[in-house]
Amino acid sequence: MSASTAPRLVRERDCLVAGVAGGLAEHLGWSVRVVRIAFVITGLVWGAGVLLYLWLWAFTPWRQATDAGDEPVTRRAPVSWLLAAGAGLFALATMALVWRGGSSTSEVALCLLATVVCAAGAGAWASLIDRPDPARGRRTEQGVRAVASLTLLVVAVFFASGTVTGVTGLVASLVALVGIGLVFAPALVRVWRDLEAERIGRIRDEQRNEMAAHLHDSVLQTLALIQNRAGASSEAGRLARAQERELRSWLYAGDTPADSDLATDLRDFAAALELDYPVHIDVVAVGTSTERASGELAAAAREAMLNAARHAGGEVSVYIEGSSRAVEVFVRDRGTGFDLARVAGDRLGVRQSIIGRMRRAGGSASVSPGAGGGTEVHLRFDTEPARG
Amino acid sequence: MAERLTVVVVDDHSIFRSGLRADLDESIDVVGEADDVESAIAVVTTRRPDVVLLDVHLPGGSSAGTSGGAEVLQRLASAMPGTRFLALSVSDSAEDVVGVIRAGARGYITKGSSGSDVSRAVHAVADGDAVFSPRLAGFVLDAFGAAVGETAATDEELDRLSAREQEVMRLIARGYAYKEVASTLFISIKTVETHVSSVLRKLQLSSRHELTAWATARKLL
Repeated sequence: MSASTAPRLVRERDCLVAGVAGGLAEHLGWSVRVVRIAFVITGLVWGAGVLLYLWLWAFTPWRQATDAGDEPVTRRAPVSWLLAAGAGLFALATMALVWRGGSSTSEVALCLLATVVCAAGAGAWASLIDRPDPARGRRTEQGVRAVASLTLLVVAVFFASGTVTGVTGLVASLVALVGIGLVFAPALVRVWRDLEAERIGRIRDEQRNEMAAHLHDSVLQTLALIQNRAGASSEAGRLARAQERELRSWLYAGDTPADSDLATDLRDFAAALELDYPVHIDVVAVGTSTERASGELAAAAREAMLNAARHAGGEVSVYIEGSSRAVEVFVRDRGTGFDLARVAGDRLGVRQSIIGRMRRAGGSASVSPGAGGGTEVHLRFDTEPARG
Repeated sequence: MAERLTVVVVDDHSIFRSGLRADLDESIDVVGEADDVESAIAVVTTRRPDVVLLDVHLPGGSSAGTSGGAEVLQRLASAMPGTRFLALSVSDSAEDVVGVIRAGARGYITKGSSGSDVSRAVHAVADGDAVFSPRLAGFVLDAFGAAVGETAATDEELDRLSAREQEVMRLIARGYAYKEVASTLFISIKTVETHVSSVLRKLQLSSRHELTAWATARKLL
């Protein structure tokens, strides 16, 4: 048999217990059932099959996920429940042995130990393996843990209540209580690890805030000063302003709302325009805007801002107000202004990309001279049909 | 604007102080400078200027968490009714703005403003008016729930803006100067100033949750 044609030995992510038998069957080209029977039979021969199983379990990798992210492993067999059931059976056996009388201490001790091992195993499996499994998760973990610890508690009470007299009974009861501790140990370890991670995160946040405060007091001040001295529309002023925006957005990254909302998008666009044109754009947003950045309103607003930057320059104000009924955008410049009626019919910028676009999308747009000179573009988009 | 005004500049960056001193127009005399909380209090109490230009982030504050500028305001504003405070900052975050205004500043401008803008603001503040930047007007509209349609029924109500005040704030947020607001709404400049002052008063006295939350973030209450 040539090894090159055989599939690689890997464990499937969707498996019964650990994917060992399935993986091996595929690798050897046998049926899964045959492999399982082989494991059981060899397992009876001084545990050779068990050792082989464990060895393969430890050293066989999971199958690589097809796309970038690793998909979670899911197991069909309820291993933790089986272990918990095992703990229950051993607990009954232990109590039955004591009840019937006549069995040796070592027999009872062995039975008790098996109970504890099964229960602790169930707890560990539930906490470490079942919890990340999407098919089981948290509920299974809590259920298994409750059943396992309850079983041990019953055993502990049974021994403590005087069925077995003297020190032996106390020791047995104590062993059962320690077992309860073992059931919860993995969960405690995880809680501790989470706390540690949170502490580290907090320290990192503190350091970041400290640095932000420091940069705020030093670099941002200097950048503001440069803009002030160089004038808003000079090259140096624009560069300083762009740098300030960049630094600010990095420093206060956590404060900005999720991207793709209208205000954030227009702010970014304003920053880009300031690099290309001698213009200073102030974007003020009010209210909660549910308008998407990809919408027609955003496109029209961008066009209006571009016009203002290209033809007017200087100071441009952008005001966005979002209410439950409508979103409005005002773009105001202080240039020489222009009369829409006198613009030649072949100039399509304003007519098509602002007014026409808004009308097609079901909104409205108007271009009017501003109160103190310049031009103001007003875009309005009703989020729900106006009543009446 | 013919009257001469005396001004004290409080900022911990000497380069910024000298830059501002050079940029202010000639009707404004800078009679003192200070670079931290204690020296600011000393200079302002001895010089008694008309207007104090106050940096929000000032070193030397005695209590942790309070911005230095707000501390100066808290310790001086009530004791010196003749002196008006105008806050200056590179930041335009809501906590900073609302914090210093509630502590008693008559207005707020960013450090990016030009010398003539600052001079105009100094004159306005000295005349008892409030100075609102477009961004501050935006904050006010947001904080008083104007965008979701909350409107005060009476003028005395502190927690909401009247319809007229909202109109004025909207125009300021759209980048209109007071004069332009007045001509758009067909009212006098004096009326615009009255509305703005009344908004400022509400901003200082209101117990609206959004405002107190911002102020507590700066440990001002």
